[in-house]
Amino acid sequence: MSLLSNTATLLGKELRTEFRSRELLTTTVVFILVVLILFSFAINPTSEESREFGPGLLWLAILFAASLMLQPCFLREQTNDTLSSLRLAVDDPFAIFLAKLIANTLFLLLTEILMLPLFAAFYNIPILPKLYYLLLVLLLGSLGVSVAGTALSAISAQARMRELLLPLLLLPLLTPVLVVSATVTVSLLDREPVVQWKGIGFLAIFDLIFLTALWLFGDYLLEE
Amino acid sequence: MKNLGSIFAAYLIGWGVFFLFYLSIAKRTSDLRAEIERLKNSLLRPK
Amino acid sequence: MVKRVIFGTLALLFVIAGAYAAFFIAPTERTMGDIQRIFYFHVGSAWAGMDVFFVCFIGNLLYVWRRDPKYDSLGVSCAEVGLVLTTVVLITGPIWAHPVWGIWWTWDARLTSTFVLWLLYVSYLLLRSLIEEADRRALLSALFGIFAYIDVPLVFFSIRWWRTQHPAPVFMGGEGSGLDPIMKKVFFFNVLAMHIFAAFLVAERYVLERTKHEVELLQHEAEA
Repeated sequence: MSLLSNTATLLGKELRTEFRSRELLTTTVVFILVVLILFSFAINPTSEESREFGPGLLWLAILFAASLMLQPCFLREQTNDTLSSLRLAVDDPFAIFLAKLIANTLFLLLTEILMLPLFAAFYNIPILPKLYYLLLVLLLGSLGVSVAGTALSAISAQARMRELLLPLLLLPLLTPVLVVSATVTVSLLDREPVVQWKGIGFLAIFDLIFLTALWLFGDYLLEE
Repeated sequence: MKNLGSIFAAYLIGWGVFFLFYLSIAKRTSDLRAEIERLKNSLLRPK
Repeated sequence: MVKRVIFGTLALLFVIAGAYAAFFIAPTERTMGDIQRIFYFHVGSAWAGMDVFFVCFIGNLLYVWRRDPKYDSLGVSCAEVGLVLTTVVLITGPIWAHPVWGIWWTWDARLTSTFVLWLLYVSYLLLRSLIEEADRRALLSALFGIFAYIDVPLVFFSIRWWRTQHPAPVFMGGEGSGLDPIMKKVFFFNVLAMHIFAAFLVAERYVLERTKHEVELLQHEAEA
């Protein structure tokens, strides 16, 4: 199917562009690290508090990092008007979005996985017991952040003050992801871990709804 | 009549907000209407 | 013009009648006293706000489909009026809560969702102010408006679920449950009155928006 092959090609391009310089990944990892450390200074949690607040802070840090990381997503295409070329190259403009959001999800996930051991160490929270479920929540949450973020990045790239605008548009929109991901993660990292399937299901539904919305309205986001 | 002060405050502030909003719309509309008259007159004048 | 004056007078009459009913016809609540009378105004505004945002959503969809500037004018008018209504809800809520429960605010499902709703439409208006070109502004804000509106139920359900995990004091907990029959009638009359008043505000704001367009057209002609 041409959508899949177009997406695969574009995804390859997105990944190659990033791995050439790796600047996005490194800066995002460092940013989340700094935020987590600053949180510790600000709150100075006891070990019980770390367990209770840590996951929420982790997700907050992920959201902040994502709203910075998603800035170049469509801005990059404006410098040499590569967006027009991309649109000509594919049959279905949705391929462009699909490629970008898969790439963004992968970047976010990679960042989070790199962060996990450090998070576990700084906040004294063992992450191994429910690791697979943790990865599942990270995947679904990051997917939600990426879908909404990629769509809104296309919007903010066409406005003024885009550096401030993207977080302003994105963060209220992602409240459900923050709230549910943090709650599920807290449960998973508790002394008696519980897998909150309702929460995980909710994240999947969020992802599906916004993916559908992006599919329906993507063409208009890329209009000249 | 418990908490009468609070209920009056709430209604007053609430309706105050609506009133100010309406006033702002009305003023801007009349300003623009005046602008339209001015523009129409300047267009009617022979060039 | 005459229609607007009649509409305005009608709206004003309904609202005054509603307030009169709230103060003099509705019985006094047993535990809270007269402060409970704010309920008719507060919830009336909230429901009107939700419906106005729904009309905004429809306007956004119609604009993306039809590209008629009138739908854009409808969208921005509804967004502003909805925001004003929601602001009143967020102000009257704490004024009610403080004497009754001793706190100004709590992060319960309804209040939190209302606050996020408020943030989303503030972002909508902010986005509009940052795009100069009219067609672009109309399209991008319509698309953001669509994403924001489909997010609203997700926000509400996610916070409600979160609240089952971390219970908090609920404001106006049993509202609607077992309302005295007279209170019910006064309530629904106030809901109707607020809807009529909201519709009047939307109409006035819409006229302002169309007038702006007329000025712009004339300015282009004058420059030609």
